[in-house]
Amino acid sequence: MAQLATLAPPPARTAGRPDKPPVHGAGGQALRKRRTPWKSWLLFLLFAGPNVALLVIFTYKPLVQSLQYSLLQWNIGSATARFVGLGNYTAWFTDPTTPNVVRVTVVFTLATVAGGMVLGLSLALLLNRKLRGTGMARTVVVAPYVLSGVAVGLLWLFVFDPNFGVLGAMLKAVGLGSPDWYNDPAWALPMIIVVYLWKNTGYVALIYLAALQAVPRDLFEAATLDGAGPFASFRNVVLPLLGPTTFFLSVTTLLSSLQSFDIIQAMTQGGPLEGTTTMMYQIYQEGFATGRAGYSSAIATILFLVLLAITAVQMLFIQKKVHY
Amino acid sequence: MTSSPFASLNRRQLLQLAALLGGAGALAACGGPAVGQAGGAATDKATDWTAVTPAKEITWWSNHPGTSKDIETELIKRFTAESGIKVNLVTAGANYDEVAQKFQAASGSSNVPDLVIASDVWWFRYMINGQILPLDQLAKHLEFGTEDFNTTLFNDYEFTGSHWAVPYARSTPLFYYNKAVWEKAGLPDRAPKTWAEFDEWAPKIKGAGVMPLGLGKGTSWSAWWFCNMLWGAGGAYSKEWAMTLDTPEAVEAAKYLQKIIYTDKTAAVTAKDQVADFGAGITGCTIASTGSLSGLLGTAKFELGTGFLPEGADGPACPTGGTGLAIPAGKAPEQQLAAAMFLKFLTNAENTAYFSSNTGYMPVRTSALEGETMKAVYAKTPQFRTAVDQLAGTRVQDWGRVFVPNGDKDLTTALEKIMLQQGDPAEAFAVASASITKSYEENVLPYL
Amino acid sequence: MGLQVQERVTVKQRSRAGGYLMLLLAVAAMVLPLAWMMLASFKDRDEIYTVPIQWLPASFDLSNYADALAAVPFGNFFINSIITTAVGATLKIVLALTTAYAVVFLEFPFKKFVFGLVVFALLVPQQIVIIPNYTLIADLGWINTYQGLILPGLASAFGTFLFRQHFLTLPVSILEAAALDGASHWTRLWRFVVPISSPTIAAVALVSIVSEWNEYLWPLLVVDRAEMMTLPVGLTLLQNNDGVTNWGVLMAGTVLITVPVLIVFFLLQRRIVTGLTSGAVTG
Repeated sequence: MAQLATLAPPPARTAGRPDKPPVHGAGGQALRKRRTPWKSWLLFLLFAGPNVALLVIFTYKPLVQSLQYSLLQWNIGSATARFVGLGNYTAWFTDPTTPNVVRVTVVFTLATVAGGMVLGLSLALLLNRKLRGTGMARTVVVAPYVLSGVAVGLLWLFVFDPNFGVLGAMLKAVGLGSPDWYNDPAWALPMIIVVYLWKNTGYVALIYLAALQAVPRDLFEAATLDGAGPFASFRNVVLPLLGPTTFFLSVTTLLSSLQSFDIIQAMTQGGPLEGTTTMMYQIYQEGFATGRAGYSSAIATILFLVLLAITAVQMLFIQKKVHY
Repeated sequence: MTSSPFASLNRRQLLQLAALLGGAGALAACGGPAVGQAGGAATDKATDWTAVTPAKEITWWSNHPGTSKDIETELIKRFTAESGIKVNLVTAGANYDEVAQKFQAASGSSNVPDLVIASDVWWFRYMINGQILPLDQLAKHLEFGTEDFNTTLFNDYEFTGSHWAVPYARSTPLFYYNKAVWEKAGLPDRAPKTWAEFDEWAPKIKGAGVMPLGLGKGTSWSAWWFCNMLWGAGGAYSKEWAMTLDTPEAVEAAKYLQKIIYTDKTAAVTAKDQVADFGAGITGCTIASTGSLSGLLGTAKFELGTGFLPEGADGPACPTGGTGLAIPAGKAPEQQLAAAMFLKFLTNAENTAYFSSNTGYMPVRTSALEGETMKAVYAKTPQFRTAVDQLAGTRVQDWGRVFVPNGDKDLTTALEKIMLQQGDPAEAFAVASASITKSYEENVLPYL
Repeated sequence: MGLQVQERVTVKQRSRAGGYLMLLLAVAAMVLPLAWMMLASFKDRDEIYTVPIQWLPASFDLSNYADALAAVPFGNFFINSIITTAVGATLKIVLALTTAYAVVFLEFPFKKFVFGLVVFALLVPQQIVIIPNYTLIADLGWINTYQGLILPGLASAFGTFLFRQHFLTLPVSILEAAALDGASHWTRLWRFVVPISSPTIAAVALVSIVSEWNEYLWPLLVVDRAEMMTLPVGLTLLQNNDGVTNWGVLMAGTVLITVPVLIVFFLLQRRIVTGLTSGAVTG
């Protein structure tokens, strides 16, 4: 399956103009002098063909199939289906549970993306200070990122359990009761968000850290000499330099957050009272548990279109705000 | 350098991409369901089973209910020794839902088994999808002796006059109580006969320092044990396909549930697992599956008591659950016949008792109940006797819960609103009924 | 003046102390849940389900681990996970490298379009493609095979993007020299481009390994024989339906699938992290 991870590249820094790679300068022309077009096309095919073929077969073809399914009333497992046009779409938009699913999705996504960025940047700033033990701390903080979502969900079940969990015991020790994480939708969603952040923030921090270390120290110092306080210098000097990294992280963490599944599956199965049912989880539940494959495909298509729209907005935003 | 993966594309390229997607559509035309053709269940067509030679090898998809892999392997060994037919046991998932996911995804592919786990909420969907075979002809041909099956357990799989599965690992809810707590509260050593009696006893149990009753939640669970309160009050989820949750009896049952949770505070909904809470001594009694009995016996630090589910105003009421076994349609008759022979072997009196004694599921045949194997079990764990005795009074599930794809899920949501948020029962039930009716009309009715 | 300096020093010290405190908090937040899991893996069932909670197990015997290993073929899970991860991640990186190389250094009229095709795959939700892919793999007879496990997830959109961005920043001179030496594109990629791209490769490798190792939904569907299952799928077999789940055993299983990745990460982390950061500084 097309995996999507929260990993981002080494932050954007210097860099060539994307449309004109340096190698395609005059020297590049010289390289290709004796090549006939078909030969270089064949070469291109050899290099890029396998990847593209795999994507067409295992991603784009199923995507189109899924668009077709979304127009059907089809119980998964059945050999036959009925054409219902846009019926599945109108059904989703008029379903009384839809506003709740949208709300859960928006809250979860905003909290994990924005929360992850803020926490990740704070951690990165902390790890960037000249303190002893930051090397070790850096490793520990990133470690949860490499764990399986299923395993993470299972281990946190026992942390949050109001009766037998360590969190409840700690709250009790300071005289507080444990919130009803598993029975109150208002607490279940924050719980899922915390676990997601626990698993994924370390990576955001790592990327930010890499970007911060590329900021020359004298820039910090220059800002401080100007009499600016640490916060002002951070806001005026460092933050703008992190712009490209922030953009990249916002795109990639958004994509992975909207598609997250296994923590919810391991901890709440979308409950209680559908309080942790995101659109992605609903797609899974309708497709496999309820078995309404057509309806599930329609929701998946809606989610795909939303992702497309967000990305388009992102593109516009970036085109307007050129950093160099 | 730009920071978005997509930033370097212009509008023309996006259009090209869209065009290519259209092209992939042509590629995608093959596979998937046939649109517009008549669908529905397989028919009990007159295969002349006497002319069929059974296959030499079959595949069985199981999730090994009750960690029964060793038991299943042993039964297979005995069957192969007797018949010469080889059975490949496949772990098709950790639970019924995972097996169902896989079975439905496999539909139409070459990867369909010859025998498959079919739980109480799944077999009907297999049936309307045309995935499984009606078994009556085969059972007659092989002389299953179906009249010896426990009537409720067998008729759970009946629809339009045919039986679509055979009971295998079957359970019922059971009332569990903590004998130490009972003693402290000065109660007789038995389960309360009625919910009214529970209400009398509950303050005493509370006086013994524990929450009296722990209730389970979550899909495939809450709406299952609530059958007891609902039916006991004279209500039902549905009558055939018509939802009946708007009756005063149904609302009454939900109000009783709210009364013990919110007014009397003699019952609490568990955070995760009511069996674990009860086993740890947090609650005085609970309703859990008979399948939990051996686990509780192994871990509870107190003496464990079991009893029938309390009766309501309308008398006793107990549903059944667990899983049966079904034979996929669309396989060769040779495979189907061999699978049916294995099915008969697996569920005969001797083997159902063997399976039961090792897992804690109910023996599915009446003649097995008083056999040697079961008698030895009762002698060792008298608590199991209660579970088996309760079987006689069980009732077939309401269609609205188990036959409609999202039935159990919608009912669970309604019950969680009632139990966790003190929501208005009539309103919560109305929402669930509307959704289930709609789903019936869209996902079930066209296939009947 | 002297006073001012002193004040500055104490402010600095105080902020240092605050820094250490924050660091400690962050590390504790990450470590405590893992420690709790480790402890639970040694506990009996009634030590886990007890109120008030019991912090330490009565003894550190390995019976839960023995039970977990006896209940399901963990050895097979382990081997399968290693094979799918090693093969899957390696091929994925190779595909990403060659695709990115083609898009940046080779001539082809529609290469921007090809690049767009590759990165737009990032937008397709995983659940959407599962049913059609299952049908395809089953029709090919690839259920319960390594190719069935690996192939559908092999294409690399993310890695291609990262490598492309990186390649665009490479100095022309190196490749020009290579071209004058008569090196083929294949040689140029592996001899010249790859060695100076190690930070990015480390980053892509980390993502690929982590996601292959932890993949859940696809292996769950495409494998139905315990001998062919990967660790995350096999782990769920330890959960018992209808009965009483033995959480000590389940936690032992969780430790068994968690610890190997953690060890690998701790061994490689210096490379990955310094690779990433140095890449940011120098590249």
